[in-house]
Amino acid sequence: MKAQSPTTRSNLGWLLLVLVLCSTAPSRPRAATADKPRWLADEMPLPLSVRTPRDLDFKAAAERQYLIFNLLAGGKWAWDQGRFADAVERWDALLRLPKLDPELGKLIVPLLGEARKRAGGGEALAVPSAAPEATARPGAGPEATPAQPARAQQPNRAVSVSGSVVGGGGRGPAGAVVWLKRAVGATPKPRPLKHAHMNQADKSFVPRVLAVTTGSTVTFNNKDPIFHDVFSLSKPNDFDSGLFSGGNAYEKVFRAPGAAQILCNIHASMLGYIVVVDSPWYAQVDRDGRFQMHEVPPGKYQLFTWHEASSTIATDDIVVGESGVSDLIVRVAGDAKPDNLVPDKYGKPRQRQLGY
Amino acid sequence: MQGRGWGVTVAFLPILLVVLVGPGVSLGQDRRSDDADEADESNEAAIEVQPLPDEVAGAEATRHWELALNGYLDIGFADAQGNGTSFVAGDTRVPADYVVDTFATAVNSRGDVASTQTDRYTNGFLPRQMGMGGRPSFLINNLNQDLRYSSADERLMVFARAQVLPRYTDAGNETRLFVEQAFARVVPFAALEMALTVGKFDSVFGIEYLDNPSTVRVGVTPSLIARYTTGQCVGAKLLYRLHIPALASSISVNASASNGGTQVESLQPVDISLTGRPVLAGRLGYELGLPRWQIKLGGSVLHGPRNDQRDSNVHQTNWGLDARIYVAGLSLSGEWIYFEEEPGTGAKFTGNGTHDFASGFEVRGFYVQAAYRLPIAFETITGITIYARAEQRRARFDGYPLIESRRLTPGVHLDLGHNVALKGEWLFNREGAGALSVANDVRTVSSVLSW
Repeated sequence: MKAQSPTTRSNLGWLLLVLVLCSTAPSRPRAATADKPRWLADEMPLPLSVRTPRDLDFKAAAERQYLIFNLLAGGKWAWDQGRFADAVERWDALLRLPKLDPELGKLIVPLLGEARKRAGGGEALAVPSAAPEATARPGAGPEATPAQPARAQQPNRAVSVSGSVVGGGGRGPAGAVVWLKRAVGATPKPRPLKHAHMNQADKSFVPRVLAVTTGSTVTFNNKDPIFHDVFSLSKPNDFDSGLFSGGNAYEKVFRAPGAAQILCNIHASMLGYIVVVDSPWYAQVDRDGRFQMHEVPPGKYQLFTWHEASSTIATDDIVVGESGVSDLIVRVAGDAKPDNLVPDKYGKPRQRQLGY
Repeated sequence: MQGRGWGVTVAFLPILLVVLVGPGVSLGQDRRSDDADEADESNEAAIEVQPLPDEVAGAEATRHWELALNGYLDIGFADAQGNGTSFVAGDTRVPADYVVDTFATAVNSRGDVASTQTDRYTNGFLPRQMGMGGRPSFLINNLNQDLRYSSADERLMVFARAQVLPRYTDAGNETRLFVEQAFARVVPFAALEMALTVGKFDSVFGIEYLDNPSTVRVGVTPSLIARYTTGQCVGAKLLYRLHIPALASSISVNASASNGGTQVESLQPVDISLTGRPVLAGRLGYELGLPRWQIKLGGSVLHGPRNDQRDSNVHQTNWGLDARIYVAGLSLSGEWIYFEEEPGTGAKFTGNGTHDFASGFEVRGFYVQAAYRLPIAFETITGITIYARAEQRRARFDGYPLIESRRLTPGVHLDLGHNVALKGEWLFNREGAGALSVANDVRTVSSVLSW
């Protein structure tokens, strides 16, 4: 069960507040829509008084939530009425907001694509050239719909890069890991994670794929009532935990970048991967292949994509503009060696159906 | 005197193990890798990274059942000396297959031979043949497809392996679909390393059955004693394993009750019981697993009625010892067996047909194999392993002289990328006591494409 983040809870709280405010507001919206259906509150700023710095913070936060609500629901209202161009306009504006809750993006994107088609066909997919620096290099890189810079954004402000991984053969895109490296100059060193876990439960590695930064310590918790012997032959991150019983754990520091195949010397059916990245900008896709990287400074990057079913790491050149990049589509192959034969910790292949 | 010596050895074994294992083994408490203790160093220049979403950052993830379809295609090229058989021109003894080793001219991982064609009387001690004679030929050795289902908690697994085998006539052009394995395996107790399997499954005798698929076998062909130990059987088997972490050790028991036993399907029907009584087989294994090297030892036994005839009072018995050592890329393995069949009272039934009589038979044999994976790789060739196997087989049918066959098989195994292996080896077959010399060396190549 996915835990709800504090940010999401905060957003929802504000949303509720705004909804309550709207539902109890005086007759201004109704008066404005007496003749013609009209969205209730396009106007900004809100008529909230500002007397103290706290008032200003409060107003800014309320206006952000108000704006989100307005664009989210206003777009849907326009969609419902068949005004697809309006819907596209509102949802595009919404997606350009920095630090937008990814859940809202997941909600909007399918309808947005359809709205674009209905609003005027494929040409509408092209993004205005106002942000040429945010355009993914055609042909050489992943497909992308770069976002326009928001008016209020400051130059060089860190933005988000989001998109989807597709492909991966029969396994699908789940488990893919993406990260960015600066195309020019050194990529900043990431801070190691201290609390990364890959558990052993029901003779499986959970999660099956774990992305960490270089120098991170991964704890292998044995949550089964039986022994496990976790190991990797993937140099230079190779290791061998030896036998350890249920309820105990083994810690390993992953210092070198690269993917390490994680296996159990006792149970041939267990297979996992730890992908070590030497970049602070990385993400692991969700079950549907979607990802989002935050706090990315604008600039030129190489986008790397690892997937267990791909024999190579996919690389693409992208340019991140001052309002980020959205709707990247990265394709990964499904050509890697099948996992029906896994080695023991001495390198000899085992047949998984034998169970040992 | 000898017994006392063994007793002393056994008594000192635990002490020896503790000394060998020493500080490298913990008693099962939380542990850290050598460098984990150094991981607390601060890094002023580092950038704080964003935490990953909970569903991928270590929280429990939903596990699903798994259905996997894997397989391989094994295409070979082989050249056998003479007429592809071990029969000696001018030798008039009959049955002809009792006085030579008909399995010597193996060309592939299943042990199929170049040819068994002869115009003399035989009594069914014959392998499957490719029908290629002494003419070099490309071969389709095996088209293999596996299906494996695993439940989400790995407590249930269903596995089936079907093979398309395009041969079995002198022209090598008859195709047979062979269900090599089909079984269900359940883990009855989550807290025990125990698994119960029912269906048609691999042998539990010895270790060579582990290398049956050409995707796993380092070389191309099986050993001279594989015919007695690597067959599949229909029945039930139980695996139990006990770990001793203080000694970095495990002890395992693998036991089966089946229709047929562990001979390959060309020597006896394995899918049905001809006697109505089960054949019991088992292996007791010990494993010492240290970070850089490993020793595995095992002893196997099989006893039950011969399943190539119908008299339940006629028995087969098989004893075996096996050992494996892995250290620094070098793999050493060996196996010894003694196998005995009591004489039957009627006809003999094998995978090759019905024959006149089930002779009494005994055999001793062994093989030792060394394989070394070179610490080099290229862009295309991702792995190079050189290997050699030496073996001997001494067999005797009741009323016939003992015959001895020896073989030395050097070879090279190349891994080409992720899904292709290319193997080539030379079988130097030599005849010893009781067997007439014959030119029956084999050069064989196998390319295996897996998916």
